[in-house]
Amino acid sequence: MAADFATRLATAATAEAASPCARVRDLGKTIDDRAILTGVSFDLPRAAFLALLGENGAGKSTLLRVLATLTHPSSGRLELFGQPVRHDSARLRARIGMIGHQIMLYRDLSALENLELFGRLYSVPRARRRAQELLEFVGLADRGTDAVKHLSRGMAQRVAIARALMHSPDLLLADEPFTGLDAPSAARLELCLTELHARGATIILANHDIAQSLRLAQRAIVLRRGRVALDRAAGTLDARTVLDEAAGNGGELP
Amino acid sequence: MGTARRAFGPVYWTITIALLATGLWMSAFYATTESTMGPIQKIFYFHLPVAINTFIACFVVFVASAGYMMQRTAMWDDLAEAAARVAVLLCSVVLLTGMIWGRNAWGHWWTWSPRLTFSLVLWLLYVVYLMVRPSIESSQRRALVSAVYGIVAFLDVPLVYLSVKLLPDIHPSSIRLAPPMQHTLIVWFVAITMLSAGLIVARFRLGRLTRAGARAGAQDAPAHPRLVPLGKHA
Amino acid sequence: MTALRQAAILVAKDLRIEARSRQTLGLVVVLGVLIVVVLALGLGPGPGAKGAAATAILWVAYLFGGVLVFEKTMAVERYDDALASLLLAPIDRGVIYLAKLVANLALMLALAIVVTPVGIVLFQFDLSAAPLGFVKVMALSIVGFAAVGTLFAAAVSSSRLQGGLLALLVFPLCLPLVLASTQMMIAMFSDTHPQTGGGLVILVAFDVIFLVASWLASELILEP
Repeated sequence: MAADFATRLATAATAEAASPCARVRDLGKTIDDRAILTGVSFDLPRAAFLALLGENGAGKSTLLRVLATLTHPSSGRLELFGQPVRHDSARLRARIGMIGHQIMLYRDLSALENLELFGRLYSVPRARRRAQELLEFVGLADRGTDAVKHLSRGMAQRVAIARALMHSPDLLLADEPFTGLDAPSAARLELCLTELHARGATIILANHDIAQSLRLAQRAIVLRRGRVALDRAAGTLDARTVLDEAAGNGGELP
Repeated sequence: MGTARRAFGPVYWTITIALLATGLWMSAFYATTESTMGPIQKIFYFHLPVAINTFIACFVVFVASAGYMMQRTAMWDDLAEAAARVAVLLCSVVLLTGMIWGRNAWGHWWTWSPRLTFSLVLWLLYVVYLMVRPSIESSQRRALVSAVYGIVAFLDVPLVYLSVKLLPDIHPSSIRLAPPMQHTLIVWFVAITMLSAGLIVARFRLGRLTRAGARAGAQDAPAHPRLVPLGKHA
Repeated sequence: MTALRQAAILVAKDLRIEARSRQTLGLVVVLGVLIVVVLALGLGPGPGAKGAAATAILWVAYLFGGVLVFEKTMAVERYDDALASLLLAPIDRGVIYLAKLVANLALMLALAIVVTPVGIVLFQFDLSAAPLGFVKVMALSIVGFAAVGTLFAAAVSSSRLQGGLLALLVFPLCLPLVLASTQMMIAMFSDTHPQTGGGLVILVAFDVIFLVASWLASELILEP
């Protein structure tokens, strides 16, 4: 029994090491009879930095939510860290961090309380200290005891970033994380993403600033109406090509 | 094959209507008139089969809801809705015939007798099912909430039944039936069951068609992306 | 063990938010008292309302107050999509449901502690015949009510919450609780009806069935 468990653990470990961070196969998501994602396939190796580009409504946010296991795909397969994603994927979720479209924080609790709460849910050791360090990192050390509802949108966004980093995720999904940030904070977030990537985390960044995305990422996927229109190394792309592919009509003003 | 399937519907409905007519004739002329209640007792041949079919329809809602929970396909949701509609219809008939019976047996249109109360609660449970559906905008969310409710409501039914039994009872629990009365009841039962099943299927088909129409509408405009040959950029 | 710890963290979070915002409890308690007073006046002041009437009136207060509690505590998760971050965390959905249920029960308990004495005093309802029986019946009923209410609050609030929708879903489902507990009260507080265990069985069965069903369903319905 114990030996069996040990072998299974060992096989799991090898599968884990060999497998890519995310394996997406023919993924489809239909919401209320509307096809949001259709036939999306890609492999994302460990420690990759992927930019997800596309127009509004192209399916970037939905793809990120599917990858975050927040919602289930309607068709196709999804593996994270070599494991198929199922309903009870709590262990997988522990390795994923997400910066969402909304700030995903409790507005009546203070920034520090929010971070500490999630730190404890993720069983982060010395959650309070880590929360304080991260608040310092996002430049809000002196606002930690303020309720989130009293923070400006940009400040709350910085707390949201700190929340996503509390448990040092292996896979960071960022949905328009630069929304509402002032220039210094945006620069700091850029640095932070690069640093996380350098430390071996896999990052998927959905962003509308094409130049910024191509500068930060190694690889870019352009979504158009829920399908992968383009999947290439970021270095070989320029903003014009991305725009053309995202619009699908040459981007000409009629 | 095709013609056989097309002929099935009319044949089915003809048999159903013929059975209903036979049932009517039998309750009027074949079954003996009961001594204490008089002719009003004949409503019973109709009342009991409808009541039983109400449960069957509720059970279909339950099964379809569970099916939706497992497979998440719109087909199950359509079936659950169709069955719930028929359940409410049948339950309304049970309530009305029950009230007519009560008026003649005890002189009041309404008494809080356990079974009348039970029918009323059952009716409320499934009317709510139908009323809540349109107020949920997202069709997936609507199907999910309905499915949860469809399951929970059915689990609730035995509890309702047990709790109304705490009320003092005056409902006739068992009636001794002469053989002609039994035959009449059986004919009615078959007729009503066929009617209910036919209604559920008809309503289910209508729901499928409406959904297919809505889906075609939703997909028509922008959601048909041109296929991009992926190799082009490689 | 971890599941229990996580549930405790989540319950503490909900109660802390309630203590911070003081939005729910005050509102709900005042609503409950208001309902009792309105019904007391409507039925005509003075004694005469026996066990059944007092229980029924308390039930109306619990039902409306409870639905408000369930809506409010779930709205906390809706602001700024906070629920999404909870669903991202490595917690079983069932634990999230149970934690919310416990938080709701804590608030319901507070509601009952205030509203019940008000109802008893206003209706001159004599509890002395079976005070423990009264508490037992009410407690069992409220657990079942909260189980169903929490489930549908979670299910409905994912779609935009429309006022009254939750009440519409929960009230008919809870009628067995109302019926059984009212009948038990009549049996306990009047001499004419013999006491039966049937009501208690219904209450316990309701609690068990809907706790289990809700716990199972929470995995499927909790979505941001």
